Amino acid sequence: MTATTLLWPIVFPAAAAIILFLIPSRIKVVREVLAVLSSLVVLYLGFSLFSQKNLSLVTDWLGMGINFDLRLYHFSSFILLALSGFLFLICLYSAVKMKDHPRVREYYGYVFLAAAFSNGAVLANNFILLVFFWEALLITTYALITLGLKPTSHRTAVKSLIIGGFCDFSMILGIGLLWASTGTLTMDKIHVEPHGLAAAAFILMMIGAIGKAGAMPFHTWIPDAALDAPVSFMAFMPASFEKLLGIYLLARITLDFFELKVGSTLAIILMIIGAATIVLAVFMALIQKDFKKLLSFHAVSQVGYMILGIGTAIPIGIAGGIFHMINHAMYKCGLFLSAGSVEHRTGTTELKKLGGLSREMPWTALGFTVCALAISGVWPLNGFVSKEMVFHGALETGYPIFAIAAWVGAIFTFASFLKAGHSVFFGARSTDVPKTKESEAPIVLPILILAALCITFGVYNKLPLQTFIQPILEGHVEAGEHLDFTAHALSLFNPVAAVSILCLIIALGIHLYGWNRSGKKAYLASEPIHQLPGLRKLYDLSEARFFDLYEQGVKLLQWLSKVLFRFIDRPIDYLYEKVVTAVGRTFTGILQKAHNGQYANYLAWTIGGLVVVIWIILQLLK
Amino acid sequence: MVFSFIVIPLLVAAFLPIIGKFSKKLVPDVLTNAALAFLLFNSILLVKPIFNQGTIVQNVNWFGEKVNLQVALDGFNLFMLFTISLVSLCISLFSIDYLEHYGHKANFYALLLVMIAGMNGLVLVPDLFSIYLFLEVAAVASYALVAFGLGYDELEASFKYLMLSVVASAFALLGITILFGMTGSLSFQAVAQGLQDLNARYVVGVCVAFFIMGFGLKAALVPFHAWLPDAHPSAPAPISAMLSGLLIKVSGVYALFRIIYSVIGMTPVLSQVLMALGTISMVVAALLALGQKDVKRMLAYSSISQVGYIVLGLALGTPLGIAGGLFHLFNHAVAKGLLFLNSGSIQHITGTRNLDELGGLGKRVPITAGTNLVGALSIAGVPPLAGFWSKLIIVIALIQAKQFGYALVAILASILTLWYYLLIQRKAFFGKISEKWLHIKEAPFWMSAANVILALICIFVGIFFTPVFKTWISPAAEALAKGIQQVLMWGI
Amino acid sequence: MVIQILLLCGLIIFSGLAILFKDLLKAALSLAVASLFLGIIFFRLNAPYAGVFEISVVAGLITVLFILTIALTKKEGEVEEAKLAKVVFPLFFILFLIIDGLVMKSLLQKVPSLPSGPEAGTFGEVLWKQRTFDLVAQIGVIFAGVLAVLALFRKKEDDKDE
Repeated sequence: MTATTLLWPIVFPAAAAIILFLIPSRIKVVREVLAVLSSLVVLYLGFSLFSQKNLSLVTDWLGMGINFDLRLYHFSSFILLALSGFLFLICLYSAVKMKDHPRVREYYGYVFLAAAFSNGAVLANNFILLVFFWEALLITTYALITLGLKPTSHRTAVKSLIIGGFCDFSMILGIGLLWASTGTLTMDKIHVEPHGLAAAAFILMMIGAIGKAGAMPFHTWIPDAALDAPVSFMAFMPASFEKLLGIYLLARITLDFFELKVGSTLAIILMIIGAATIVLAVFMALIQKDFKKLLSFHAVSQVGYMILGIGTAIPIGIAGGIFHMINHAMYKCGLFLSAGSVEHRTGTTELKKLGGLSREMPWTALGFTVCALAISGVWPLNGFVSKEMVFHGALETGYPIFAIAAWVGAIFTFASFLKAGHSVFFGARSTDVPKTKESEAPIVLPILILAALCITFGVYNKLPLQTFIQPILEGHVEAGEHLDFTAHALSLFNPVAAVSILCLIIALGIHLYGWNRSGKKAYLASEPIHQLPGLRKLYDLSEARFFDLYEQGVKLLQWLSKVLFRFIDRPIDYLYEKVVTAVGRTFTGILQKAHNGQYANYLAWTIGGLVVVIWIILQLLK
Repeated sequence: MVFSFIVIPLLVAAFLPIIGKFSKKLVPDVLTNAALAFLLFNSILLVKPIFNQGTIVQNVNWFGEKVNLQVALDGFNLFMLFTISLVSLCISLFSIDYLEHYGHKANFYALLLVMIAGMNGLVLVPDLFSIYLFLEVAAVASYALVAFGLGYDELEASFKYLMLSVVASAFALLGITILFGMTGSLSFQAVAQGLQDLNARYVVGVCVAFFIMGFGLKAALVPFHAWLPDAHPSAPAPISAMLSGLLIKVSGVYALFRIIYSVIGMTPVLSQVLMALGTISMVVAALLALGQKDVKRMLAYSSISQVGYIVLGLALGTPLGIAGGLFHLFNHAVAKGLLFLNSGSIQHITGTRNLDELGGLGKRVPITAGTNLVGALSIAGVPPLAGFWSKLIIVIALIQAKQFGYALVAILASILTLWYYLLIQRKAFFGKISEKWLHIKEAPFWMSAANVILALICIFVGIFFTPVFKTWISPAAEALAKGIQQVLMWGI
Repeated sequence: MVIQILLLCGLIIFSGLAILFKDLLKAALSLAVASLFLGIIFFRLNAPYAGVFEISVVAGLITVLFILTIALTKKEGEVEEAKLAKVVFPLFFILFLIIDGLVMKSLLQKVPSLPSGPEAGTFGEVLWKQRTFDLVAQIGVIFAGVLAVLALFRKKEDDKDE
């Protein structure tokens, strides 16, 4: 296998995107078959490259050290494999779910284009190349959100673009600083201590990475998109692709580009962001009344575990964070897909209208239950293993507060999934939706595959930990040391696991209490917490988007524009329109008659500018 | 032959009014476009010699007698000639259909060609006074073209433009006069040599200020920009495209930087002043653009803002900064030409330019909507379109030169740019279509064709960025950077 | 020096008056006088060709054309001149002279210059041999002007035909 093979994961999906885009809308079945087949080819490419391990392709591109540089090694091949797997499942699922979408032509085009860009971003070994693919993903995200066809879809799409753009620009700035201090743009040649300028570069690049992953405070478009975008997009981008890419880059930043020390300021900043994301997002998730929106807040909350794990800078914590990334991608993708399956059959995702669907949709219910238990960290599923690793890592740093935050997150994660499962699949059959049946096989199959993977990765956790995770950390901690993270994996008999299990029991208690208090209505089970005196106010504020930096930023800019217009532009205009001409009328009627007011105004600027320029030049010359 | 860039448009322009008596449409259309296509072809043919030799100097003999008709072509000139030919060809293609309801096509084309001849001449001459004269050729033609519609607004805008532009020319001429008085010569090389011998820092400083004001007004840098938002929107769409896309760059940016780089020398002081001016233009104009309702007015403010980028890149003075500035000059010429032509299409289709009245046109006029999106995204700097690369290069150059503050402002301004372009796109093309526009039709063939060509260039240049950059931009940037080497730091 | 300054003052005063007068005839005459001053200045600065052109063409021919046109179109009745103009303009002018004198005096002393080279031939030769390019540009300016007149003073009726 030659080095040019590395181009295939980028070129093939891009070519597929063009072909799928060109197939006229009238042709139905061919498109779906072609999409699934193409994704299978990409999956095959993923597998064959995963078996390759080390490959590198360098060609001259823009000069000045900016080469077209692709590098495949154990970490990127692992992410590549995961990405292609999710692409396949999403295509399979979309084959039924999206087939009647009016703009299905564009949908597949963008999905495959996004896959091509993601593969490129993962393989890139040059920062400029990385930025190129990274930025291009913004466009596909934007386009896919607009495919939701809701009245507010466009607004949400712009929001994602601007937030993403902000994060990406800060990453570009970070890369610029890193370039200035190291003098190279080749990724695998950079390894610096984060001091001074490099620390600033670290923070800026970190914003780029966690912004892509959707951590607080860059998450605000995700809950909006949950309602405005197609549900398969949610499973595709925020649940799996963006998490994989964002955490991949964060891991590269903390492991490769910079040397993050345990307990250093930067590590603590990361851990604070992680812990805050876990707790704040899970509290928002708890009170949601819409299935998809609830899931989307969890998609944010779970990022916190990954960031917390990586921020510990302790091998088991980092391994836990990365493992949590792949686990999360699996179960959250599964959860969104099951929400989509419910929406597919009932036409709604409002918890209030749903209930007791488990009899009619047994397979969806089964897939949901497994994934929900996995995300809540129930023994012996994969979520349990990776969360345990993060807890251990957080405790080892010597700041137990972070572990406590993570546990609090675990309590409310489970509570909110009890509420969601209870409202949708179990409990009494609601009367709001007519009788229905199980979704078609291509919808159910991906959910069940993902559920099965959740079980496999939990029970046989040694397999992924040893094949995927350990090689990444090999040599990063202490050279030559053999790493083994499987020791804690499924052990129930240690204090950490005991606390975790206690958390689950508390969650069950909270749910049952809320359920009883609200008259046995499962969708109201979170109300006691929602109505707590201090929290109520905060919840209301955040529902009104008070904490949304983007909305506040937009308001600020609109305000600035208005202020500039009212208080600077208009007064100047007034000054020139009224004052200058009035002065002119009194003192120099001559000028007034020779020119109209407006022209004098322009001329005044011009001459004034000239005087200022002369003055400045002469000052500078002194 | 290099001289044909000036002579051919002038000759065709001389015959057009006469031809216009016999054929009102067909012959002027064909003749003008053929002439411009020839110039484009010619400029492409010259790439290879320039790439190999660096400079071409040509003399013209008048019936065997030697006269002083000397043109010196280097990478920078050729780059400008190519840009002018390319964009003006697309604009004249657009005019074939657009000018139908104005009438008097022959006169219009003749003026357009005189303007192009003026710009080409300005680009080719190596002499201060000739620069001034050709500046006037292009300017006089442009005054008439702005007023071509003969409506009240057009005439008022044209008059205002004329009055301010004359002031600018006067100051530029004053600067030239002072230099001539001091050195006794007018050609770039001789003046540069003379200044080197003289050591007159303060007087040269004042001179440069006159140039900055004079050419800065032509380029619409911020304290000197007030005429542009009136003049550009009032003109017929192809002329707006011509003015915003080419004229402000040729008679403003090109002339200013040619003189600074080849005669006065780019020094830290000048670099500081110009970078500050560029940045102010960039930010102030972008904020002002945000509040506009009229499509063309918004585009006009955006031109000011983008000229700010170009000046920022060129004024930085590092080879990469110059390359970025020139590349942005090209990209902006193409994309802003496209957007103004598109606004012409919108006006042709709907009869209005007010954003609040438009909406949902995208479904009805897919070509106009699509090309508009490409142009807007290119200017806003979204990859992989052309504008992204040039802005990226400028930002990289700023970071390399350790100008982090300017880099940050440049990035923030590009976010603002993206914002107001998405505003146009959304208000005009997306969203719900209003009752009024249910029966509109796509723009006529040549208008759409011109738009599509320009949009394709935006995409093509973005994707095949490396070869384009190597063939066109690098030689031009080298020519300028060499200028810095030659005109070393004396005086200011 | 004194004559020089007086001539410049005359030039500026009459140029200003040419703009200020509401009566077209007076304005045209002021312009002619201003051109006359400019022509004399040209002569004094050793530019006889420019002086001849200025006086014969601008002060002579063009003024005749102006006056002819005005005579053909003028309506009966006197035009009221603005009173303010008569008072404010001189004041403004004096102020300008003072500032100009102060600024220019200090600036002029600082302007160094190279010794000028020997004059290269007659006016025609200079124009033809050395400034040929400018001739091309002049042709361009004239073209532009003529075409502008053609375009802007076209008949409106034509528009309706097409």
